[in-house]
Amino acid sequence: MFKKLLKKAYQTVPDVPEKSSKEDIKLKDSNIGNNLEQTLDIFKKIYTYPHNQDFKVRNLHIGGSNKKAAILFINTVTDTKIIEENVIKPLLSNNDSDKKIDDIVSVLSISTECKIKNVLTNLNKGSAILLVDDDSKAYILSAANFEGRNIEKSENETVVKGPKEAFNERANTNISMVRKKVKNENLVVESLTITERSKNDLFILYEKDLANDKLISNIKKRINALDVDAIQNLGLLEQHIEERKLSIFPTVLYTERPDRAASFIEDGYIVLLMDNSPACLVLPATFWSFYHSSEDHYLRFPYGNFTRILRMVALFITLFTSAVYVGVVSYHSEMIPPDLLLAIAATREKVPFPAAIEVIIMELAFELIREAGLRVPSPIGPTIGIVGALILGQAAVQANIVSPIVVIVVALGGLSSFAVGDISMNFSIRLIRFLFLIAASLFGIYGMAALFTAGIFYLVSIKSFGIPYLAPLTPKYVSSGDTIFRRVLQNEMFRPGYVKPKDIKKK
Amino acid sequence: MITKMVLKMANLLLLLLFITGCWDQREVEDMAYVVGIGLDKAEDDDDRVKVTYLISNPEVGSLAQGGSAGEEPPREIISFVADDFVTSRNLANTVVSKEITYDLLRILIVSEEFASKPDFLRWVYDATKSMEIRRDTKLLVTKEKTSEFIQNNQPLLETRPHEYFEKMYDLGSESGMTPKSDLMTFFRITEADADLFLAAYGTAQQSNERNKGQDPEQIIAGEFDYEGETNTAQYAGSAIFNEGKMFNTLTLEETRITYLLNPTLEFESILTSLPDPFNEKYKIATKIIQNGETSIKMNLKKKNPTIDVEVPVLVEVLTNHSGINFAKDKDKREKLKKSFEERLTEKIEELVKKTQEEFGTEPFGWSLIARKHFKSIPEWETFDWMNTYPDMKINVTTKVRLGKFGRQGEMLNIEDVRD
Repeated sequence: MFKKLLKKAYQTVPDVPEKSSKEDIKLKDSNIGNNLEQTLDIFKKIYTYPHNQDFKVRNLHIGGSNKKAAILFINTVTDTKIIEENVIKPLLSNNDSDKKIDDIVSVLSISTECKIKNVLTNLNKGSAILLVDDDSKAYILSAANFEGRNIEKSENETVVKGPKEAFNERANTNISMVRKKVKNENLVVESLTITERSKNDLFILYEKDLANDKLISNIKKRINALDVDAIQNLGLLEQHIEERKLSIFPTVLYTERPDRAASFIEDGYIVLLMDNSPACLVLPATFWSFYHSSEDHYLRFPYGNFTRILRMVALFITLFTSAVYVGVVSYHSEMIPPDLLLAIAATREKVPFPAAIEVIIMELAFELIREAGLRVPSPIGPTIGIVGALILGQAAVQANIVSPIVVIVVALGGLSSFAVGDISMNFSIRLIRFLFLIAASLFGIYGMAALFTAGIFYLVSIKSFGIPYLAPLTPKYVSSGDTIFRRVLQNEMFRPGYVKPKDIKKK
Repeated sequence: MITKMVLKMANLLLLLLFITGCWDQREVEDMAYVVGIGLDKAEDDDDRVKVTYLISNPEVGSLAQGGSAGEEPPREIISFVADDFVTSRNLANTVVSKEITYDLLRILIVSEEFASKPDFLRWVYDATKSMEIRRDTKLLVTKEKTSEFIQNNQPLLETRPHEYFEKMYDLGSESGMTPKSDLMTFFRITEADADLFLAAYGTAQQSNERNKGQDPEQIIAGEFDYEGETNTAQYAGSAIFNEGKMFNTLTLEETRITYLLNPTLEFESILTSLPDPFNEKYKIATKIIQNGETSIKMNLKKKNPTIDVEVPVLVEVLTNHSGINFAKDKDKREKLKKSFEERLTEKIEELVKKTQEEFGTEPFGWSLIARKHFKSIPEWETFDWMNTYPDMKINVTTKVRLGKFGRQGEMLNIEDVRD
């Protein structure tokens, strides 16, 4: 009831004068007429020609039949060379009056549309439109050419051994990179337009003889239910389709590595791609997919598992060091070996704050260095290092604001927090660290144990698109046991059972 | 209805939080860490004790920034009369500016005078009540008053007092010089009421009867004759407690033999010299190491119960003044082995006899083994170990295995050099 009241209170539509676009909508819903001039006028009106700089109209007479025609395109997103060479030239130099348009124009693909609305969509996506007098349809000539980056090295998920290329902002390139790794006719690339205003396209990639149909339809259902104006990229889409929007744990994997995407597809997962996102989304995601990195498998068995152990240890160090320090120092001093206890007591003697405040100050300072280091323009980047290391480390100790042991504790936790590479999981661990810190400063180790237990309950309860978060560790599923450790490659015989693949046995 | 229930439950859960919380919080730097407690009889009041606190200064021995001690001393000592050593914590705060805590308590020091009183047990059992006092806290008996001992005990190199005591005890039990003597064992043996408990014995007073020219192992603390610029406190031998009351002492050698006989005690190695069977003038320096478990076989159903003790030891020869190459001569090795066995057996028998005749029971933990021979506790109680032990027939055998004969087997023939 309270929730409902709150919702009501906060969901009032602000009183802003709006202008009705009913007329426009009606115009766009109509069909193309026979009269070229009239149709052109409609398009020019829609595109506010000639104020709109990059909307171009080229009038011409088709050679042979001498019919009036017009080519419409947006020159910033089309390949003007194709239009010139393959459309205008053949049309002008045509002599045969009986030839159809399809046979004159030599672009890669050509189709026709009658509804103005659909024509507009194609025009916005970079196609050129050919309108011919006495013809109640528009020819859509594909000549799209959006500008973008080339394929570059992956920057956030770097590996030493393994492919270096990363996704870029062009979905076509990205799909091509996946196809390069999965050369199989069963790899389906479905495309959906998911937003109403900006017409953002989403590509759904899966292997149709592996991925579970229910899972696919579940995901499609959730995507089709979206009712938004614009979703620019996957980072935004992720927030639209995830189940628990306030949860501290991520449930959709975001990776910029095509090799990871491909290996997930080969295991029966579903991958989403979009223009403008130098990454992909992998659904469903378990805790382990955030914890793993692709290099774990590229390295030999002992080396890969060594990094896994390191990462697990680092994860617990991040979560617990500062909390354990505060808890033990404030409540359980009898637990510490005497020499260490005396050392801690000695260094804390002149520190003005309680241990909890002291650690929170340092933790916040560390987070600030991290955030500032990320946002700082690169020419003044080195300053951050000096400020961070000197002022916060050395000087704070010398000024007796914090004790040297706290600097070690916080630095250790901060350093370890980088071992978990995934940005979302990284954030959740850093946030949980603060929860542990608060629990420890209020209730000592008892509080930490209680929070940890509650956290485990929560972890077990989360589901990502119907798949338990900690699967296959708990609940148990048939899988190749790729959780905390990995097996020798030859022993990884099964696809993960929890995504219910159509073919569980791997070769 | 359901929401009401949920709300009630939530309220109850919230209340749970108040059971614990930050009011239990005690910052480490606000504590005065008592490392040792000394207990003496109050001078003119039988119902009170004189408590001495040895408080460690955390800032000493720490090189960390922000925590340099400057001119502060490594410890603070305070003695006063109190009802017991639990309530004394508050009393001490009239002088000491930090809250007294027993978190780091490592040693309980009792004067011989106080330990010999029947009331001693009452005071020591206070330690079982206190939450902070650990059962592995060591027990030390001092010859003089503990307040004097603690003040005179000034280790020069180990500035932190807890380190000093820990090291002293570790080394003492490694080489068998002092017994392990912790509170747990004291309580266990006192409550079992069959064996003797051995506590470490120490003093900071030099005895008048220093044993000049005697066997250096026939001493207890205070009798060791040394010179130099060092601490005055020494630890050797043990104080014997019967039924929670101290009544006698064991010398250093006797303590070491106890280690050999007691299956609950372990030592690393004993360095000692044994007579040379080939030349009466010389002694052979040896290192004695336990070679497996001491086997103790008992026959308690007989009218005259017997105990057969077999002590297996490994003996390494460290010096050899008579210059015989044992490594190459089997007969001589046999002779050497036999001589060692005889000597050790003789020493052990001597102590066993002493326990039977003087002490009335033993400090070797044998009653633990004897218990297993009885089906029920009443049976064991009617057997009455303390009364039957003095009349038992105890056969001791020593099994020596010879170890290494030093790095170099061949010895220099001194006659040849002199020639």
